[in-house]
Amino acid sequence: MSSRARRLPAVPTLLVILFAVLLAACSGSGTTSIPPDATGSTVPATTASPTPEATPEPTAAPAFPVSLTDDEGTVVEIATEPQRIVSLSPANTEILFALGAGGRVVATDNSSDFPAEAVDLPDVIAFEGFTVVVDVEQIVALEADLVVAAGLGFTPPDAVAQLRDLGIPVLVVYAPTVDAVYADIELIGAAVGAAETALTLTDAMRTEIDAINAAVVAAGIPPRVFYEIGYDGTTGAIYAPADASFVAEMVTLAGGEAITTGDPNSYEIPLEILISADPEVILLGVNPFYMPTIEEVAARPGWAVMTAVAAGAIIPVEDVVITRPGPRLAQGLRNLAAGIWPDVTLPPAP
Amino acid sequence: MAARIRSRPLLVAVVAVVILMLTLLAGVGLGTVPISPAETIGVILHRTLGLDLGITWSPAVETIVWDLRVPRVLTSMVIGAGLAVAGVVFQGLLRNPLADPYVLGTASGAALGAAVAVVLPIQVAFLAFTLLHGFAFAGALFAAWLVFRLGGGGGPGGLTRLLLTGYAIASVLTAFLTLAMYVSGSELRQIFSFLLGGLAAASWSRLAFAGPLIIVTCLLVFRRARALDGMLLGDAAAHHLGIDVRRERRALLALGSMATAAGVAISGLIGFVGLVVPHVVRLIVGPRASLVVPISVLAGAWLLSAADLVARMLGDIPVGVVMALLGAPFFVILLGRSRVRYEL
Amino acid sequence: MTFADAVSPAEAVAAAAHAGVPILAASALSVTLGGTSIIADIDLAIASGDRLALVGPNGAGKSTLLRALTGMVAPSSGTVTLCGSPLSAIDRRTVARTLAVVPELQELPFGMPVTDVVALGRLPFEPPLTGLRGTDRAAVDDAIERVGISHLRDRDVRVLSMGERQLVFIALALAQEAPILILDEPTVHLDIRHQVEIMRLLTELNERGTTVIAVLHDLAFAAHFFPRIAMIADGRLVADGPAQDTLDDDRIRSVFGVDPALVRLSASRA
Repeated sequence: MSSRARRLPAVPTLLVILFAVLLAACSGSGTTSIPPDATGSTVPATTASPTPEATPEPTAAPAFPVSLTDDEGTVVEIATEPQRIVSLSPANTEILFALGAGGRVVATDNSSDFPAEAVDLPDVIAFEGFTVVVDVEQIVALEADLVVAAGLGFTPPDAVAQLRDLGIPVLVVYAPTVDAVYADIELIGAAVGAAETALTLTDAMRTEIDAINAAVVAAGIPPRVFYEIGYDGTTGAIYAPADASFVAEMVTLAGGEAITTGDPNSYEIPLEILISADPEVILLGVNPFYMPTIEEVAARPGWAVMTAVAAGAIIPVEDVVITRPGPRLAQGLRNLAAGIWPDVTLPPAP
Repeated sequence: MAARIRSRPLLVAVVAVVILMLTLLAGVGLGTVPISPAETIGVILHRTLGLDLGITWSPAVETIVWDLRVPRVLTSMVIGAGLAVAGVVFQGLLRNPLADPYVLGTASGAALGAAVAVVLPIQVAFLAFTLLHGFAFAGALFAAWLVFRLGGGGGPGGLTRLLLTGYAIASVLTAFLTLAMYVSGSELRQIFSFLLGGLAAASWSRLAFAGPLIIVTCLLVFRRARALDGMLLGDAAAHHLGIDVRRERRALLALGSMATAAGVAISGLIGFVGLVVPHVVRLIVGPRASLVVPISVLAGAWLLSAADLVARMLGDIPVGVVMALLGAPFFVILLGRSRVRYEL
Repeated sequence: MTFADAVSPAEAVAAAAHAGVPILAASALSVTLGGTSIIADIDLAIASGDRLALVGPNGAGKSTLLRALTGMVAPSSGTVTLCGSPLSAIDRRTVARTLAVVPELQELPFGMPVTDVVALGRLPFEPPLTGLRGTDRAAVDDAIERVGISHLRDRDVRVLSMGERQLVFIALALAQEAPILILDEPTVHLDIRHQVEIMRLLTELNERGTTVIAVLHDLAFAAHFFPRIAMIADGRLVADGPAQDTLDDDRIRSVFGVDPALVRLSASRA
């Protein structure tokens, strides 16, 4: 008789084993979690109110433990006020420092450049072109009790999941609109026990931004503005704001009619489309990775026909404060407005 | 000297195990955060055997050693073993020294699956596996199945057809992958990271899935090692030696694809191991599959974990780069000094 | 006695011989592939101890007949029996221990020493996990001795000459210790010295008890070394018997289309 009967069929056996393993994994994972107060000492829940007084303060409700929903919809539990915070994006770093929590930040990313104190902090995430490397070991070694990560895949989801598995609360934060920036500042404020400071900050930002917007809206018809995010000399690729993107919104708030790529997913605009859109003002987003000169831009083949080039309306602006969804947004808007409406007097900075 | 080593496969195996153990210790003891060997050993003994040696360490150290490094090193060993064995299987099945685990489209299938998962606006997690891992796994298996069916189902004499079908399917899938990458916008970064391959996503729960799967697959391949040997002589000779060529081929292809898919789902596309380790092992112990399979398990496990250790110490550069840079020159030297000439 | 009852293939073969049953037989065998009839209605009975040469022009169906006789191709009609039992009903390993086949020369994808190649002949006997046992090694050594390639034991098969390689594969078949040895064109590509050597080896093996069936293209060798010749032409068996009957002039002229004088190279048996 054939030998078939004596052997276990391989594929069904594998499937059974796989199923059994999955069941086993279901019942308990091998990971342990470190409670956020990893130092071993018992930290009592701190309250946001100042030292206890005889008369009850309206803000006597304890700020911790708190349950927050981050920008990806994940509910994150923070048991006590974080004392060792890690920021994984330059915007988050700025927000933390602006909220007065800068002293509690123990590590940032390699492109956090503001404020000056942030530069010297150790880097636990490196953006190298296309790849992002997160040093989870270092984050754990620093005994982080809160990680503020970037969304849209800028912080690899695997790393976020790994940190959460280890019991470290991770807030994933990203702001596709200006209003979202306010929400994020308030979210991070609630997470670090600086909710009031956050509100003050966002109020001030809102006031200033609204004032600048009012001034430029009153100034006249918005000119067509092309905000150049980048330009590749070798391929001739032009990088412009996508439809309904953050930069496009900023330009609109600054009193300009934003020229966009026509596609919410694409940041590249063909030269022909740009020429037919005919910008009246060209703003060059200058940052450490991209520093064009006005002469260079004007000399590009085919660009001379644009109104902006003919009129000499090519203006470099500091890109970081305009495109970084952080606390300096009002300053960014001011720069934009000044570039688009050079003759308009903007309300003074507070 | 080669002949003497060949006659002592047991010695080779013992040496390989010792080297593997040392690499395991090194891999767990070293990393971006300096931890003393005493603490490392203390944590391991405590978590595995409940022993308390009187050494103390902070909870952070325990987490780093036990939850980050140990699963990562073990995962790299398991995946390295799986890829090496898959390489043995495909080289033997296709009677082609240039075959590697991805030759039948599994790489493109996995990459496409991952890209699709990233582009889809769904966030799903199941037992620590995100959509990306699941789709990569499924994509790899789907591609292998497709190639098998379209390539003649492993019928007698159909090896070239199988290989060419593998190439064709891989091209088609890569075209879709490029399309997905084009459409992906900001998720491009994630797809790219996946393609580069790496072990940062290792964890105990993922090891619990991939580990038993790959180990069982390797054992089943080992049981079929005789069939691989017989098929070295061609379908007719294998048949005359009592081997059911069609059935063995189907089973071995499934096992090889399974091991590859499990590895790819966790660590992305890691090359080199599957192609080179079987050759190096053959140069040391000869081509009999019943020896090559177990020694390749050890050698593959060692190569990937050692490369991952070096990659980690150098700031987490892609592990495939490290393997190629260190392994390729060694391989060339070995080829030059061996008395077996590779005529293709 | 069927295979199920026999302790070893040798015993089954002896029992069949004793009972006058052909140890390998095709009856009314036809094979049709892809709509074309390759061989039709072939009756061939091989007794234990036979030494048979299968001859015929290219494309006559010799290889297909061989494949049907060894179970690689299923008959479209008719049967193939091994020691009286239908071939399809016997499990592969038992068949492999009864019928050893030396196929046309194959290229190995990886280098392998001669000893290891010959050792592959023990695959039908080896238990899956433990590998070669003492008896296996003895059979391998014996096979190497008998074929006369002991001086080549540790050489890589791929660097040997064709003649030597053919001897290695014959040794492989011998290591199977099967009572029936089947060879498909064993002298193609070989120089005359090696051709004669192989013919002598086959004669010697047959005299020691192995049944030998060889597909040959060289009629002169067939006539000189094989007492029984079966001729296949256009898928049919046109002659089966001693050389002087099978290889008569008319037949050679009609089947092969050549001058029969060309065939009579050596001292013929006519």
